[in-house]
Amino acid sequence: MAGVEGVRTGLHVCRGNWSRQEDVLLTGDYERLLPAFRAMEIDQFVLEYATPRAGELAVVGEALGHRELGLGCINPRTDEAEDPAAIVARAEEALRYYRPEQVFLNPDCGFGCFANRCVNEEAPAVAKLHSMVQAARVLRERYGA
Amino acid sequence: MFTVTQVGSWPRSRDLLRALRDKQQGRMTRAEFEAVADEEVRRCVAHQVEAGVDVVVDGEQRRDNFYSFVTDKLDGTRLMSLAEMLDTVPDKAAFEEMLTTLDVPASSIRNPTCTGRLARREPLAVDELRFVRELTDLPVKVSLPGPYLLTRSMWVGAFSRAGYDDKTEMGDDVVRILREELIELRDAGASFVQFDEPVLTEIVMGDEHDRRTFM
Repeated sequence: MAGVEGVRTGLHVCRGNWSRQEDVLLTGDYERLLPAFRAMEIDQFVLEYATPRAGELAVVGEALGHRELGLGCINPRTDEAEDPAAIVARAEEALRYYRPEQVFLNPDCGFGCFANRCVNEEAPAVAKLHSMVQAARVLRERYGA
Repeated sequence: MFTVTQVGSWPRSRDLLRALRDKQQGRMTRAEFEAVADEEVRRCVAHQVEAGVDVVVDGEQRRDNFYSFVTDKLDGTRLMSLAEMLDTVPDKAAFEEMLTTLDVPASSIRNPTCTGRLARREPLAVDELRFVRELTDLPVKVSLPGPYLLTRSMWVGAFSRAGYDDKTEMGDDVVRILREELIELRDAGASFVQFDEPVLTEIVMGDEHDRRTFM
């Protein structure tokens, strides 16, 4: 990454997105990855925070609050679209560590990392995009711009 | 602020899955496949634009999976099923048990195995980017497999030693290829390039750090 300017770079780290069985996916916060994260010349860390498996925002927020956060705020493996109010609340929690400009909203992972085993279908995925956009509108009204 | 985007992949339609299978089995030409995929990307981008997403993705519609697709683009690679790889795993029973325990769809996951010296036949994702940029003026995010994921998954000693002495030597080429790609994507107008490293958590959270798993 060193020396490549003019494009935003991100690192996405997740704990598995191949099954809808949450208990077979990995659990734990990002504490043990912090030394590696710190050493990387990356603008944004795109992380999972939509399920309890991911741990607290404080772990990365306190250590790397000067970088951007791609806040995983929807679970790509469920059928129900998230309530925008819940996304707003999670983003506001992130504001303890980040400025509004540093926070991006995204799903925890892709909706279909493996072509033959997509973890979702199109209609729920579309509904989830709408939830994020609605949450972003509320957040922008509250925090300027 | 609060820029809305995605991580990368979008559900595949039945038509696309059929086309992907036909392409992989040689029943469909690449051009025919790309025409099907073009339509799927159009729909995927339209959904994002209509929803009001700020930075759009192509949904990885052209990819078998988020890292195995590099076999379409790199010399010295071969798309391999986990079943084929199973023959090279020292403890076959333990590997099979791991797949079952973790609910890994072994028949659905294919690996980009290194089988010789790696070289870019064509860019990994510049075509994906160019096509999305024809559809919208919104900024575009492109996802790429990270260097650690690629190095770890591509190295299957029994095959990869045809091109490299060891994994580290191959890894240097992986890093060089990804760096060239990042620069080309930037020059082609990418707003955001994201590297995917799902295996990193497994290294620090899994029980057995050096055991080969399915990625």
